[in-house]
Amino acid sequence: MNPAVSTKRIAWPALAVAVGLFAVAPLFVSDFFVSAILTKTLWLGIAAASLIFLAAYGGMVSLAQVGIYGIAGMAYANLVLADGGAGTAINPYLALVLALLIATLVGLGFGWIAARSEGIYFLMITLAFSVLVYYFFSQVTGLSGFGGINSVDLPGIVGSPEQDPLPRYLLTLVVATLVFLGLGALSRTAFGLGMQGVRDEPARMRALGFDVTLHRTLAFGIAAFVAGIAGVLSVFYNTRITPGSINLAQTIDVLIVAVIGGLYRLEGAWLGALTYALIDNYSREWVPEVGNVLGPARFNTLIGVLFLVIVLASPGGLIGIWDSLRAKVRTPRRTPAPTPVPQTTE
Amino acid sequence: MFRRSHVALVAACAAFAACGSESASNDAAGGGNSSNAAEEGGGGGGGGEPIKIGFLSDCEGAFGSFFEPTASGANLALIKYAGAKPSGEKPTDGVTGATIAGKPVEIVGYGCADDTADKAIEETRRLMEQEDADILIGPLSGDEGIAVANYAKEHPDKTFVNGIAGAQDSTLKVQAPNFFRFHPDGAQWSAGLGDYAYNKLGWKKAAIIGDDYSFPYTSLAGFVAEYCAIGGQVTKRVWAPLGEEDYSSYISQIPKDVDGLYVGIGGSGLISFIKQYEEQRGRVDTERMLGNVFWDDPLVLKEVGKSLVGGVTSAMTAADSDSPDVAAYIQGLKDNYGDEIAGAGPSVFTYGYYTGMAALITALEAVGGDVADQSKLQAELAKVTLTGDKAPWGDVKLDSNRQAISNVFLKKIVEDTTGDGVPDVQTFAQVNDVDQTFNGAFSADTPAPDRENPKCEAGEAPPWVGQAEDVSFSK
Repeated sequence: MNPAVSTKRIAWPALAVAVGLFAVAPLFVSDFFVSAILTKTLWLGIAAASLIFLAAYGGMVSLAQVGIYGIAGMAYANLVLADGGAGTAINPYLALVLALLIATLVGLGFGWIAARSEGIYFLMITLAFSVLVYYFFSQVTGLSGFGGINSVDLPGIVGSPEQDPLPRYLLTLVVATLVFLGLGALSRTAFGLGMQGVRDEPARMRALGFDVTLHRTLAFGIAAFVAGIAGVLSVFYNTRITPGSINLAQTIDVLIVAVIGGLYRLEGAWLGALTYALIDNYSREWVPEVGNVLGPARFNTLIGVLFLVIVLASPGGLIGIWDSLRAKVRTPRRTPAPTPVPQTTE
Repeated sequence: MFRRSHVALVAACAAFAACGSESASNDAAGGGNSSNAAEEGGGGGGGGEPIKIGFLSDCEGAFGSFFEPTASGANLALIKYAGAKPSGEKPTDGVTGATIAGKPVEIVGYGCADDTADKAIEETRRLMEQEDADILIGPLSGDEGIAVANYAKEHPDKTFVNGIAGAQDSTLKVQAPNFFRFHPDGAQWSAGLGDYAYNKLGWKKAAIIGDDYSFPYTSLAGFVAEYCAIGGQVTKRVWAPLGEEDYSSYISQIPKDVDGLYVGIGGSGLISFIKQYEEQRGRVDTERMLGNVFWDDPLVLKEVGKSLVGGVTSAMTAADSDSPDVAAYIQGLKDNYGDEIAGAGPSVFTYGYYTGMAALITALEAVGGDVADQSKLQAELAKVTLTGDKAPWGDVKLDSNRQAISNVFLKKIVEDTTGDGVPDVQTFAQVNDVDQTFNGAFSADTPAPDRENPKCEAGEAPPWVGQAEDVSFSK
C-alpha cells in the first residue's frame, strides 16, 4: 500500500504555474540554458515519467525504459535522412509515427515476458532488456552507423535548433505537458485503478477474474510508448544517436533522475530531471578540488552522494520532502491524516 | 508488492551509485578545470576581446590516462609560440599570459569526455555554447572525432582542430569545411607495412586480427588497402571484442596456412593476446607477425616486449629520433611539466594536440588574431604547412578535405640498449607524403572501414610503395 500515490484530480493552478514558468523562461535565460538545461529537463523527465508511471501505479520498477527509448531513437534516426545507419530518408513525421509504433510493440513484447515476475527479478529482467538493446545496436553497425548516426533530419516544426532552439523547446514543453496529463488521466480510469489493484493485491485481483499478466503487459506497452516519445525527443535534442546514448550509464541516469525526483508521483520525473541537468552542468564550476576525492571531474560521486542523501531522508524523493513539509503545515498536531495528498506540481 | 520492489530498487540503486562514482557509469562526468583555473592573465599584449579556445580530451574511459599528456601537448604550443606560462604543475591547471598578434588567448576550459560520442558532444556544447569558445581543439578518440566533425558542420561560424582522434570518416566522409586534422588518420599510420610485408618479408597470403571497433577497422584498413593493392591476399579477418581477456578462441581462428599475421589489438588486450598466442602457437616469429601503432607502446614493451623483439610497426612519431627539433620539443615538455609528461612526448596523443595547436597559432597570427569572422581563419588554417620545430617529426600539410599529409616511420623493436631491461625501438625507414586516400582506395564514396571493408583487391599501389627511405638515428 502506498499512501503517497495520488489518484485525485490534478492540481490545475500548480500545473499552470509550472508550465507558465517554463514557457516564459526563454525570455530571461540564454539559448544555452534553454537547450542544455530546460529542453533536456523536459525530455529526460518524460523518460523518467514512463518509469515512474510503471513504478507508482503498477509496482514495476523497470530498467528497460532506456532500451526502449533507444529503440525509438534508433528507429527514427534510421528512417529519416542522416549520416550513417540505414538512412531510408522517409518523411520525418511518418518516421516519428513508425518509431513510436516500433517502440510500443517491442515494449509490449518485453512487458509480456517481464510481467510474470516481480521485485528484484522484474528489475533484473528489464535490466537485461536494456543491455540487450545496447549490445544489439553496438554490434549491428548497419543500423547504428559507424560512430553512431549523425546529423539526423528533424521535422519542419522543430526548425533548425542550431539557429533557434525555441521551437524545439516549446514542442518538448507541449509534449511533456501532454504526457503528464495523459498519464495522470489514465491512472484515474478503470485501467489505472486496475493497475493499482494489481500492484497491491495481485492474488485477489486474479481471484476476481482479472487477467493480471495482460494488465501489466498493457501498462508496460503504454510506458514504452511514453519512453519512445522521450527517445525521439532525445534525438531531436542531440541531432544524433549512438549506442553510447543507450548504455548502462544512461539506464542508471534515468533511474537516478526518477528516484531523486520521487518515485511515487509523476511530477517527480521533471523535478529530478531539472536537478540532474543543473548539477550536471554547473557542478564543475562550484565544486572545489580536494585532492583526488572531490573535484570538478567527480560528477558521479556528487550525484551518488546526493542520491543516497535523498533516498535516506525521503524515500519519496524531492517531491516526497515537499509533500511531508506541506503535510506538517496543513495538519498541525492533529491525528495524522490517512492520505495526506497534496496537490501541487512543484 | 510495491514495498518489496522498492527495497530491491534501493539496493540496486545503492550498488549502482557506489560503482557509478568510480568508473562504471561513464555518464556526465565533470570536466577538467573550469574557466577560472585556465583563465589567461590579461591584456598585457594589447587587450581587447580574448581569443577563446576550448580544449577537449578524455579524462575517463579507456583513454582517461592520456588527459594530462594531451593537455601538455596543446599547452606546449601556447608556451612556445604564444608566450604562455603554465599556471600549475598539472597541464590542466591551464596557462596564463598567452597572446597572439597582440590579442590575449584564453583556454575557456579543459573539457573531459570518456571516448563515447555522446559525452564528447555534451562537452563540446558546454565549451562552445556555454563558455562561448571560438575554437575547439579536440577530441581524442575515433567515434568522438566523427561526432565532433558533424557538430562542426552544424556550426560553420566556429572552428575545430582535431586533437588525435584517428577515424578516417571525420575528414574523408564528413568533410566539414571548418574541421581540420593536422595528423595522419589511423589508416595512414599503417602506411608502409603492406609494402614491407609483401616485398621485404615475402608474405603472399596474410591474415589480420583486431579489436572489434572503429579505430582498429581504420588502422587495419590501411594495411589491407596497401598490401592487397600490390598483390597480397588477406584470407582471414578475425575480430575480438574490445576488452577481451581470453583470446584463445580467436587465436585458433587464425589460419596456419598464411605467411603472416597483422595484429591490430591494443592496450592490455595486446599483452594477453601475445601471452596466449605463445601458449597456443609457440614463440612469436617476428618475420611472420607485424603490429599496428600499439606495438611500441611503453606498457606493451615492458610486459611482453621481449617476445616482440624483431617485430615491426609504424606511426607518425619515432621515440629514438635524434633531430634537434624533437629534442627541443621533449625538452620543452620536461621544462614545463617534468619527466613523466616528457616521457609521453613521443606518444601520438601528446604530439597530435601539439601540432594541432601549433597550426592554430600559425593561422591566428596570419589573420592578426581576428576571430570575429572565422571564415578568414579557416582559409588560413587550410593553407598552413607545419615545418621545423612546429612539426619536429616531419612537415605536415593539408589536403582538400583538410586532412594531414605527412610522413610515417617504420620501426623495429630491438633488444634493450639502455640497460633498463625493456626492449627499445629503432626506426629504420621513413615513408613520405602519406595521404588519406591510398591512391584512391579510400574516398568519400567507398564504404567506411569495418569488419569486411575494404575488400582485398589488387590495384594501383599507393605512391609510396617501394619508396620508403632508409633512416637511422644514432641513439
